[in-house]
Amino acid sequence: MNAAWWRETWLFARREIEERSRARSFRITTVIMIFAVAAAVVIPALVSHHHKVEKVGLLEGSDSALTQAAIAAGRVTGNQVQVVPIGSLDAARAELRSGALVAVIVDGREVLIKQQPVTGTTSSTATFSGALAQLVGVAQRLPPGASRLALTNGIALPIRGVEPAPRSLANRFTGLGVDLLIYLVIFFYGMAITQSVGEEKTSRVVEVLLATVRPTQLLTGKVIGFAGLAFAQMLVLGVTFVVCGVAVGSHALRGTAGAVALIGALWLILGYALYCSAFAAAGAMITRQSDAGYAALPLLIPLIAAYSLSSSVLFNGANPFYHVLAFIPWTAPVAMPTLFAIGVAPAWEMIVSAVLCVLATIATARLAGLVYQRSVMRTGARVKLRQVLRAGPT
Amino acid sequence: MRAVFGLVALDGGEVRWCGGPIGERERRRFGYMPEERGLYPGMRIFDQLVFLGQLHGLQVGPAREAALLWTERLGLADRRADRLEMLSHGNQQRVQLAACLVHAPELLILDEPFAGLDPVAVDAFSAILAERASAGATVLFSSHQLDLVEHLCEAVAIVNCGRLIIEGRVEELARSGPPRLQVRVAGDPVGEWARDGLAGVESVEVGPDGTVTLTLFAGADAQAILDAARRAGPVAHFSFARRRLSDVFREAVGLADVPAEMRIPASAPIAPPAEGTRP
Repeated sequence: MNAAWWRETWLFARREIEERSRARSFRITTVIMIFAVAAAVVIPALVSHHHKVEKVGLLEGSDSALTQAAIAAGRVTGNQVQVVPIGSLDAARAELRSGALVAVIVDGREVLIKQQPVTGTTSSTATFSGALAQLVGVAQRLPPGASRLALTNGIALPIRGVEPAPRSLANRFTGLGVDLLIYLVIFFYGMAITQSVGEEKTSRVVEVLLATVRPTQLLTGKVIGFAGLAFAQMLVLGVTFVVCGVAVGSHALRGTAGAVALIGALWLILGYALYCSAFAAAGAMITRQSDAGYAALPLLIPLIAAYSLSSSVLFNGANPFYHVLAFIPWTAPVAMPTLFAIGVAPAWEMIVSAVLCVLATIATARLAGLVYQRSVMRTGARVKLRQVLRAGPT
Repeated sequence: MRAVFGLVALDGGEVRWCGGPIGERERRRFGYMPEERGLYPGMRIFDQLVFLGQLHGLQVGPAREAALLWTERLGLADRRADRLEMLSHGNQQRVQLAACLVHAPELLILDEPFAGLDPVAVDAFSAILAERASAGATVLFSSHQLDLVEHLCEAVAIVNCGRLIIEGRVEELARSGPPRLQVRVAGDPVGEWARDGLAGVESVEVGPDGTVTLTLFAGADAQAILDAARRAGPVAHFSFARRRLSDVFREAVGLADVPAEMRIPASAPIAPPAEGTRP
């Protein structure tokens, strides 16, 4: 693989990028996706910015000065606060679970909320309860009897959830979006690779090309070209996501939702690398352009399976079967980000699965390269996989 | 031809160029027009030619110049921005020729370049091939149009059922074989004069206008035959016939006595092509 090798291979990649990005269908899809991402970021933010009255419970017998602190906490976070007295701690817990109250101040000692916020998240509840804890803490300092301990520990009161800390809902929605993107990118670009290889074969231009370059160059160039297009498209969508998110102050930008998106991007690269060569081999086996869909379909089945189960996993939790899927290289690119989004994929699982995926990618690329070389010049009847693997080079 | 480009493995033997084996560097300086034509159907023809030029090692500037030149020469100047699939069959053939010429190859290999072309395009193509040859390139093409091959080529090789059966310079092949005389005697439309057992004549064929073609044994006396003709009447035509390439071909593949329509069966798996070379 010397400079000339890469120069020629890059010509194929560039041709693919130029020709595809010129196509009207590509431009229209990109514009639609940009609008979809912008809408997904902007609409929830606009809806959640409706000022509503946040009800804060104050356990009976507490200092009435805390009421002022709670209202002040609402003011600084852009919420209107109504303080309601609560008879008992049990009643407070029930009200929090039902969502009637957003927070309860317990004897000026702690702030109780429904769910422990994940560190770093800045959902409206997390922001508000943080401010509440600060201001109530300040209010607590003023009257006599404020303990030295409270001062040394900082002013803010501890925030406690009545339910254990979850992965936030934002993560689940981000996971949903990430899964959809991984699925769509591999699906559409995979099909496009199959069709593009099939077109080169059925139009016989491949004979002209292979008279000069090696099949691996043609294959590598094509895969790189489509990858360039896919990642450029993803980059545009990512920038749209960030710009819109900053503009409307979306919560999707902060906290662990970003980590979910990042892990998703990593698995998109792994998944694309795994699948792309196989799609090219499928394209090399067809003899009519209309067969491209049938040739690519078997490759899509694991991806479709992992994707169709993912939304159920995101909102109902993972089962052992889905954990197994997360270790099978062909389903892992969708399954692993899903598990990560709901917070049940420890780092070691992620690393083991990624290593398996890379190994599978190498094996697939070798096999696909062989199938491609042996079938791309074969015309006549549809090439059967078994024949190709048995036969020597043609 | 495909073996030259490493597209098929050889059963035996090897292909050499300038005495050495053919590698990628050599192939980059070759131009190839496969029998089954093919270029990117959806790509603009100018972009396509520039792309193929670059693929053969040209920088983008020279590749663009060459693409401009060849589209101009092949009458495609106003179609440069069109996609290949928008062009007629004949124009697609022109693009295909431009595609194998764009990098000024030192060896041109064309599989049936004249198949399906109209006579004007045949003339244009042959002129370009002749010009490339005189500019120093080697042009190797296969064809069934033997009259064209005879007119255009310096040397031919005849391949039948995958075996080389004859090769040589066109001039030498035309002069090879038993000498043949063509004689026409005015006023003798059936060649009556030649039926009297002329000495040294192997066979006699009479054409529709009375021209008699005599195949002679070696050492036959042509003057004696001329005398015999003159005794029969005024001789309107007398010449040694040049052997046509198609005759060489028929004799070589052993089908000389088979009726014309059966000579090259359409269903034959390997039609015997004649290959013309022009060093």
